[in-house]
Amino acid sequence: MRQLFAPGADALLRLALLTGAACLAALPVVGAGLVRSSYVTGVGVAPAQPVPFSHKHHSGELKIDCRYCHTTVETQATAGIPPTHTCMTCHTQIWSGSEMLEPVRASYAKDQPLVWTRLNKLPGYVYYNHAVHVTNGIGCSTCHGSVTDMQLTYRANAFEMSFCLDCHRNPEKYVRPKDQILNMSWSPPANQAEIGPELVRQYHIRGGERLTECGICHR
Amino acid sequence: MTPLPPRAGLLGEAEDFASIGRAVTGAPARACSRAWWIAFAGACGLLGVFAAALAWLLLEGVGVWHNNNPVVWALDIVAYDWWIGIACGALLTSATLRLTGAAWRSGIDRIAETTAILAAAAAALYPIIHLGRPWVFYWTLPYPNTLGLWPQFRSPLVWDAVDIVSFLGVCLGLWYVGLLPDLAALRDRAFEAALAEGRAADAGRGRRRRTTLLKAQVYGILALGWRGAATHWERWLVATRTLSVLALVLVVALQTGASVMLAGTVLPGWHDTLLPVTFLAASLLSGVGVTAALAVLVRRALGLEALITGRHIALMARLMLGLSLASAYCYATEIFSSLLHGDAFDRAVLVRRLAGSHAWAFWIIVVFALLPVQLFWFSRFRRSGLAVALVGIAAAIGSFGDHFMLLIVTLSHDFLPSSAHPYAMGAWGLATLAGSVGLFLALLLLGLRTLPMVSIAETRRFAERHPDGRPSGERAPTLAETAQAPLWGVSAEFDDAGDLAGAVRALKERDYGARIETYGPVPMARAADALGRPAGILPLLALGTALAGGTAFMLMCLYASGIDYVFDVGGRPRFSWQAFMVPSVSFGTLCGGLATVLALLFQNRLPRLNHPAFAIPGFTRASEDRFFLALEAAGPRFDPERIERALARLPQGRPLMVRRVPL
Repeated sequence: MRQLFAPGADALLRLALLTGAACLAALPVVGAGLVRSSYVTGVGVAPAQPVPFSHKHHSGELKIDCRYCHTTVETQATAGIPPTHTCMTCHTQIWSGSEMLEPVRASYAKDQPLVWTRLNKLPGYVYYNHAVHVTNGIGCSTCHGSVTDMQLTYRANAFEMSFCLDCHRNPEKYVRPKDQILNMSWSPPANQAEIGPELVRQYHIRGGERLTECGICHR
Repeated sequence: MTPLPPRAGLLGEAEDFASIGRAVTGAPARACSRAWWIAFAGACGLLGVFAAALAWLLLEGVGVWHNNNPVVWALDIVAYDWWIGIACGALLTSATLRLTGAAWRSGIDRIAETTAILAAAAAALYPIIHLGRPWVFYWTLPYPNTLGLWPQFRSPLVWDAVDIVSFLGVCLGLWYVGLLPDLAALRDRAFEAALAEGRAADAGRGRRRRTTLLKAQVYGILALGWRGAATHWERWLVATRTLSVLALVLVVALQTGASVMLAGTVLPGWHDTLLPVTFLAASLLSGVGVTAALAVLVRRALGLEALITGRHIALMARLMLGLSLASAYCYATEIFSSLLHGDAFDRAVLVRRLAGSHAWAFWIIVVFALLPVQLFWFSRFRRSGLAVALVGIAAAIGSFGDHFMLLIVTLSHDFLPSSAHPYAMGAWGLATLAGSVGLFLALLLLGLRTLPMVSIAETRRFAERHPDGRPSGERAPTLAETAQAPLWGVSAEFDDAGDLAGAVRALKERDYGARIETYGPVPMARAADALGRPAGILPLLALGTALAGGTAFMLMCLYASGIDYVFDVGGRPRFSWQAFMVPSVSFGTLCGGLATVLALLFQNRLPRLNHPAFAIPGFTRASEDRFFLALEAAGPRFDPERIERALARLPQGRPLMVRRVPL
């Protein structure tokens, strides 16, 4: 008697079933990979800016202090983006004819701020305070990476909740002495396990349950 | 499965294997009528309302349902509980009838399982759409996420997510495994139609249509190549019973879990140990009610009066009567215990239930769920299909009143007068509810058009053989018999399972260098005995997987809530294992169910679309009224002529036809 299906039908069906199963299994893997990729998070990607400002040159080589431009980092919630006047303190004197700096001079002349492309963004429902962090042992580079090595500035970390929680759950692994806050090449010393808890005590950081309360960040 | 000698009114007098099969497989075609199209248009209209309600909900948020604080759970949770109650009741009915071996499950179990799936599908939408941001519904599931968080396993939101996935998994598994032989019957009838069409076209009458063969192939893929081998049938019986046990556990865990969640609070009207029992009784009543109504509908619409008999309907009516009495007892006990030892708040809730602004809900329970069913004390109403259908639907409506009363009356006014807030149903909440009914109806109507609504295998248990003594295939020799082509084996056709078993016993005695297998439209217990039953590891495997899955889920909850993500919720203990029981049990049954289905398919080496057995002449009737014995060549001693001689000398019941089957 004639068969309803040709002998090859089983191979096709198995292929289809395996493909379906593989796709089903691959979907979460691909999805998980995608949301962690630079394509979504923007980590390591330097976007075009009105002026190709180099942190490496200014802060790394010329040793300009972070706080010279980001003036409110120790006192306010936001670190502050410098006004054009800050740039012009030097650039009225040096490189004053540079073509590269034309947008800065135009901004100064028209009294209109430069429109930078923002790199480090937090969702609106997250409350973050720079001052609280940098005055309590968390250095710039913990979140922003080694900025003094960045020719063009890029985002060093995806500010996902797990990134914040890593530190909020175990602050003793990340706190530094006060004099190391601005050190862009700081990495935990060998004896961090000993000095960490001591620093946490000195800074009066109430770790664990207090720092992981929802209301600490979501107010 | 031996035929039960007395038909006991559960099968029409003239029905036999073939007529049962043809009645069921022909039913989808009969459903194609003007009435079907009108009903389908109505259901699609309700689906349109659903789409509009959901679109507005996504644009505006859950406020469109008029939920407020404190009535945070309103029509959304009421409707969810109601649908899942119907689903649980229907599934529990099917599982219990199968496990207790009740003869009258024949016409009912498929309808009950279908009801359960459709109601669960309608229910499954609610936990998703009632989230403020439904597009991130997957946040309720544990998965490695960038938030560094776990779901809150103490929350009923997570229970609902796990429960509904498990319910759909187990329920679909039970339904689909039961459906496999019936889909094979549909495939064979469709293939016969395609072959007949081809022969007619060759003779110059009519033309071949691709759709006829395509239909057969679609059913063929859905049937996964089921060919009705005796060992397959034995494993199938074990698998359906195993899945029924899992379904039973799941339903009880799900219904009592949901109600213990309410009873575990201190709120007046909920804080009652009887609540889980009340929940289960009410859900059973609504599930049986909807199943009974659908049974009457299927019976009338598809003309299956001979398979779903008056006795089935009357038994459903009796079941409803018993359940309504149990339900009434629960309600009366709740009221009585409130009056006897309830505090002032408890009594106040009682008064508000009976006479408050939502008193209609309580009186809906009385008028729809408890009173109409009392008609079934009289046999005249039990015999009336219309009465049973109407009372069944009324029972479901009454159950809606029950869930509404339970949630709304307590939430809208608990202890403090200051926290009391009135609630009124919003138009969009009602539109969503109507839309979910539309979803149920649309899926049901599509099912009526495409799937067998009565289990052929279950119904055939009551049928006797109707031997017509005619071989099913043509007697002309095939190429295999003339051309000395390599043979797959030798087949013999019987029209009686007893003759088949006798032949197996006779042939087992000597070594013919062949593997013996039998194929038939029903489980062949005697032939399976003669062949040696397959080892019954399925239940053990299901138990092991269910325990492993449940334990793994429990350990995950304990690790997440107690170690990795410690989070103080109102001072609850870190290791709140009691709260984790509900999703753990649900997940365990899901694992067991999946393992059962996969193991059944693996042991039976299915799916197998192309198999040499399908080349046996007349094999399409193996899903109708014929039994085939196949001796597959296995070894050098295989000699077709010797086997043919042995088959011709069988002590009892000669085969109708003996054929050589090419490879």
